[in-house]
Amino acid sequence: MEAENAVFTENLGRIYKIRGAKKNESKQLIALEGVNLSIRKGELFGLLGPNGAGKTTLIKILTTLLAPTSGKANVAGFDVYKEADEIRHHINMVSGGETSGYGLLTVKENLWMFSQFYGIDSKIANQRIKRLLEIVELSDRTNTKCAELSTGLRQKMNIIRGFLTDPEVLFLDEPTLGLDVGASRDVRKFIRTWIEEQPQRTVLLTTHYMVEADELCNRVAIINKGKVLACDTPTALKHTLRKDAIFNIEVNSEAPFSVDSLRKIAGVIRADKTEEDGFSRLEIVLKHESVLSSVIDEFHTLNLRIQNLQKREATLEDVFVALVGARMEEVEHAEFAED
Amino acid sequence: MSSLTRKDLLSKDFLSIFRRSFKTSTWLGWKIESNWTDPFLFAVYSIIKPLSGAAIIVVMYSVIAQGNYDTPYFAFLYFGNAFFQYVGSVMTGVSWAIVDDREHYKTLKYMYVAPIQMPTYLLGRGMARILVGTLSVFITILGGILFLNVPFHFSEVNWLLFAVTFVLGIIALINMGLILAGVTLMLARHSDFVGDAVASSMFLFTGAIFPITSLPVVLQPIGYALPTTYWLELIRRALIGNVVDAFPTFAGFSNLQLLGILTAFALVLSIVSNRIFKACEHRAREQGLIDRVTNY
Amino acid sequence: MQTMIGRASPRLIGLYREKSWLIFDVFFPMLTVIGYVMIYKAIGAPEDYVGFVVVGGAMTAFWMNILWSMSSQLYWEKETGNLPLYIASPAPMMGILLGMALGGMVGTFIRATGVILIGSLLFNVTYTIQNGFLLGIIFILSMISLYGLGMMTASLFLLFGREAWHLANLAQEPVFLVSGFYFPLKFLPFWVSAAASIIPLTLGLDGMRQLVFASGATLGFLDPKLEAIILAVLSVFFIVGAKLLLDHTEKLAIREGRITENRR
Ligand SMILES: Nc1ncnc2c1ncn2[C@@H]1O[C@H](COP(=O)(O)OP(=O)(O)OP(=O)(O)O)[C@@H](O)[C@H]1O
Ligand SMILES: [Mg+2]
Repeated sequence: MEAENAVFTENLGRIYKIRGAKKNESKQLIALEGVNLSIRKGELFGLLGPNGAGKTTLIKILTTLLAPTSGKANVAGFDVYKEADEIRHHINMVSGGETSGYGLLTVKENLWMFSQFYGIDSKIANQRIKRLLEIVELSDRTNTKCAELSTGLRQKMNIIRGFLTDPEVLFLDEPTLGLDVGASRDVRKFIRTWIEEQPQRTVLLTTHYMVEADELCNRVAIINKGKVLACDTPTALKHTLRKDAIFNIEVNSEAPFSVDSLRKIAGVIRADKTEEDGFSRLEIVLKHESVLSSVIDEFHTLNLRIQNLQKREATLEDVFVALVGARMEEVEHAEFAED
Repeated sequence: MSSLTRKDLLSKDFLSIFRRSFKTSTWLGWKIESNWTDPFLFAVYSIIKPLSGAAIIVVMYSVIAQGNYDTPYFAFLYFGNAFFQYVGSVMTGVSWAIVDDREHYKTLKYMYVAPIQMPTYLLGRGMARILVGTLSVFITILGGILFLNVPFHFSEVNWLLFAVTFVLGIIALINMGLILAGVTLMLARHSDFVGDAVASSMFLFTGAIFPITSLPVVLQPIGYALPTTYWLELIRRALIGNVVDAFPTFAGFSNLQLLGILTAFALVLSIVSNRIFKACEHRAREQGLIDRVTNY
Repeated sequence: MQTMIGRASPRLIGLYREKSWLIFDVFFPMLTVIGYVMIYKAIGAPEDYVGFVVVGGAMTAFWMNILWSMSSQLYWEKETGNLPLYIASPAPMMGILLGMALGGMVGTFIRATGVILIGSLLFNVTYTIQNGFLLGIIFILSMISLYGLGMMTASLFLLFGREAWHLANLAQEPVFLVSGFYFPLKFLPFWVSAAASIIPLTLGLDGMRQLVFASGATLGFLDPKLEAIILAVLSVFFIVGAKLLLDHTEKLAIREGRITENRR
């Protein structure tokens, strides 16, 4: 197993002890529980989950920053707990949404310095820096002090820092968080090209953007509340819902209505409503297409006029809902409500 | 990217990692410490501050002694105070990067993920401060001799003893700094104060401004357990030899015996400090403190 | 006033919650006090000098509070990204700073009292209070002008940016020297003492020492009554200065936008 696996975890768990508001009161928070993953060399692997799912915790364990409280994990063939020093020669990491870096150094100096910590020849490092800066369109800021960069530009610099050392396994924790649409797209594209350049390169990326996981990753693990619920290729994950018929329907109605009666129809897995300007958008998942006629009958009872009806393919969002029983946004809002 | 890539990652031997950790972090430390809008301010900072501290003591002394500067105690006081600054410079120099990188630059985790030796990195980051500290001590002594009536006779200096003592002291202090860095790593709060707290506490116990025999008897053992006590005694013996006779704390010990004790301290600390640091690191990893930001 | 209380209360609450802070703020001055007392004892200084050091050491707590808390506060708010919130809020900056000053003053007063108590017990200091009324006036005036100065420097620090930390550091030992924190001000050259009097604690400390120690009067710099008058003038000067400077800073922040950016 070691030979092919870039990352391998067995029953990995992490519990945080948190001090309560009162003295001596200590609570436990299970951030990860029984995680079994094996990521092959050459894979672009995605971890998809809502806020607080445990993605960052997993990355921290794999990058040797945090010790697991149970189970074990291997990266590049080395144990994260016992052989941390070894692992560090083979990996690099970038976390999105933060402004790290030495503000008083220029972009180039920051990057050059990190390359030196990895023992990369200065000339080669400078070539790579130049090339990478061009790719993310940061070349014009090469000699700008990092303190004078905007948050997004700083993050681009950070992303370059990750690729600069040409790691065997690269950990990207929400790399596109805080980047604009164009920059996110460029970064995604670059990750794809980078991994395809050499068969040995592996990327583990976390995200809570469905599309990012879907478009970018070879395989995706869906994680919620510290547990991995499913792990497969995006296609295979969506394939589990192949029998379901998913419809987007836009309806007009005179008076407000509730979707409860739709949900009660036999064969309706899910019915959600979002209000738009002047009409309602319904998302309805059926066990089988044949149920549609009963749904339309119910529309008549509710006095709804169909504006537009579309059958669509399952997305990872649907997979998440099927696994967790709620949409990702709902999970996140519930989290915040608890705090 | 380039075909050379894997090879340069393979240079894993101790020495080359040491070299690159030290070289690069020294560069970084220098960049940070010398980041002054005005280089003049930098000079002022490393001269005015220590000299003012020394001047307070001189004024205090002169108010009471009414201008009689040629006493053994005055020399004892001035040199002890001046060289004690070094304890702070070296110890916080080595441990400060933990706070700075974790809280301010948010880069500590990236340093940890990188294949470097953390202790070496810390030492490199501290080099600039150690250098500035050396300069400060030198200036304090020089300023004292030139302007503040500090008695000093070039011809009586034992330069060899001074050099050996100085180096041994630096080794001991660097390793104490590393232990301090370990403690800092484990502390989520107040981490920016520990350096100062430890250094200031040592000030009272190590015979910097008064002989440790003036301490209450129960507290004296603390002084004897600190390497800096022997270091300061030897520095005084080397630079202002005759003064020491007036303070017989270590009268029973020859220079060589004291050097032996200091060497033993330096040696033991060198061995122990790395282990303690590793142990602290271990705990920090278990508790997830490496990338914890306190956010004041 | 609303703003003031709004800002003062979290500081007071913070003070009680963070007991460790208290220890640090009593601990550091205490160490220095002990060290300097030992020096005086070693040279055989009269007993009252021990008291001078204890009182001076306690007053350093206020100076530290001005330097590290008041002055750098806006700067830290900027670093942590809260400053835009303050500037954007309808509350005037002066109110916010006054609140901070009040919170800081009460907290520091407790800590300074701690230093005085411990120091006095440890070294058996005897006080002979001569004119309690004048003593109170001098203390209150020192506090008003000191915190006025703090408000003024708060905006100065903001303008200085990253060097603020170093500036605060630089204003420690030199000020302890020229303001006579550990010895009677009288022993410095007259013009040095006179120049140092711009820092309210200089005259405040000198005046208080004259009024609480038996030998104080003979070791004083100026007549305590005159010192009280000068302190009153300083209070007005600093408060007006703080107001003007703050308005200027606020304007700069809005017009040029360079102050609210968090950059490191
Ligand atoms: N140092 C810590 N101490 C205590 N609890 C923690 C700590 N770090 C994380 N947690 C908790 O562990 C859980 C998982 O956090 P984690 O940061 O791994 O989530 P995540 O999936 O990365 O979320 P996000 O999408 O918001 O980044 C959360 O409930 C979080 O509150
Ligand atoms: Mg996260």
